[in-house]
Amino acid sequence: MTTLAVAALAEEYAAALQEYSASGSEAALARAYRLGRHALSDGVGVLEMAALHQIASARLGGGAPAPGRAGEFLSEALAPFELTRRGLLEITAHLEDANNGLQRRLAEALQAFETAQDELVERRRIEELKNEFICIISHEVRTPLTSIHGALNLLSSGLGGELNEQGRQLLEVAYRNSQRLVRLVTDILDLQKIESGSMTFNMRPIEVKPFLTQAIEATQGFARKFGARLALAAVPRRAFVRADSDRLMQVMDNLLSNAAKFSPPDGPVTVAVTRNGGCLRVSVKDEGPGIPEDFRGRIFERFAQANAAAARAGAGLGLSIAKAIVEQHGGRLGFQTATGSGTTFFFDMPEWDPRRGAPKEAGPWPAQP
Amino acid sequence: MARPALKRILLVEDDPDIQTVTSLALGSFGGFEVHICGSAQEAVAAAGQFRPDLILLDVMMPGMDGVDTLVALRGIPATAAVPVVFLTARVQPHEVERYRELGSLAVIPKPFEPTALAATIRAIWESRA
Repeated sequence: MTTLAVAALAEEYAAALQEYSASGSEAALARAYRLGRHALSDGVGVLEMAALHQIASARLGGGAPAPGRAGEFLSEALAPFELTRRGLLEITAHLEDANNGLQRRLAEALQAFETAQDELVERRRIEELKNEFICIISHEVRTPLTSIHGALNLLSSGLGGELNEQGRQLLEVAYRNSQRLVRLVTDILDLQKIESGSMTFNMRPIEVKPFLTQAIEATQGFARKFGARLALAAVPRRAFVRADSDRLMQVMDNLLSNAAKFSPPDGPVTVAVTRNGGCLRVSVKDEGPGIPEDFRGRIFERFAQANAAAARAGAGLGLSIAKAIVEQHGGRLGFQTATGSGTTFFFDMPEWDPRRGAPKEAGPWPAQP
Repeated sequence: MARPALKRILLVEDDPDIQTVTSLALGSFGGFEVHICGSAQEAVAAAGQFRPDLILLDVMMPGMDGVDTLVALRGIPATAAVPVVFLTARVQPHEVERYRELGSLAVIPKPFEPTALAATIRAIWESRA
């Protein structure tokens, strides 16, 4: 709409209002309303029309109020804006709610994080206390134990002269139990080393046959007490693993001692080695009563004991330590058992090629230290 | 030339019971001549006259511990080059590493088997470079 047209419209609108003001003619009022509607339809802005309405109303003079109904077209035109405004208010309210919720959740998450952090610090403190306690106990127990065990060991060797039969029996009881105590203290320290990751491994290539022969010789005396016969079956030629010899000997000592303890009198305990892919499997087979079914699932747990007789034989830490040691070598310790006909414990380890200085076959072995 | 035989061992150990057991294991049972000292000061004072072939050293001792004792013994001519073996309950990996760094020949953990101690020490003596 041109400026002239707008001016003409303003005049016409003012005249309609004037007429209504003077005569109260409803027709004049309706005309003013229609003029406003048409103007808005023709593109005159709402604000411009509102200004025209104000000017026309002011021209009525005498303080007569502008007829509200004439300007209704303005309210109608503004209605969508009002809806939008209300919508915006509602959205703003929602956003504020959401923002408050997010702030609450952020505060809660921060609180939870701080609590978790405090718990972690507390757990580390307890862990340090535990390690310190084990170190202190280790020394405080090992010092008197050195004297007790040492004195009994020398007495058993006959250094103090010959004892009568009862004296010998009592000395044997005391010496055997001091050995148990030494083993227990050593095992607890080993567990602590495994848990804290401070157990070190001096890894070297080891030829399996002489190593197993040595392991059997070392345990033969112990096995004889239980009437068990340790024997080495055929071993593949030039079979090597890469391992810490002392730690692997500890594993063999545990497996052979257990097999001897649970063997029937004069029962054979057979050590065998087989090749399986890139792995060597070392197995220790006994003809004992087998592992009770309800014990099989927790046999590698610490302080696990099948029954009271087993408890007298040891603290139940050896297998747990043996398993950890084998796993540290990238191997796996397992068993097969049948009630009444015996148990075979075995460990699988990557076979080592000493010429190449690498495992014989690439495999899914965990990294060795 | 054959290595000189191991005869005299200086034992530095503060615990009287372990002194008894160790000296019996090495003396009466093992056939060595053993001189017992209860502290670093005693060891430093006795070393010149006793002239040990090997020193067997405890770690946890009041006053100067085994490590300080080793340093003190290295400072006197009679023991400056005498091989040292630690006999100790302190055998955490980092502790053993420290003993090796200090030049000890070996570490024997407590508790030990007294009847096997003499043979163990002979084997350590024979295997030294």
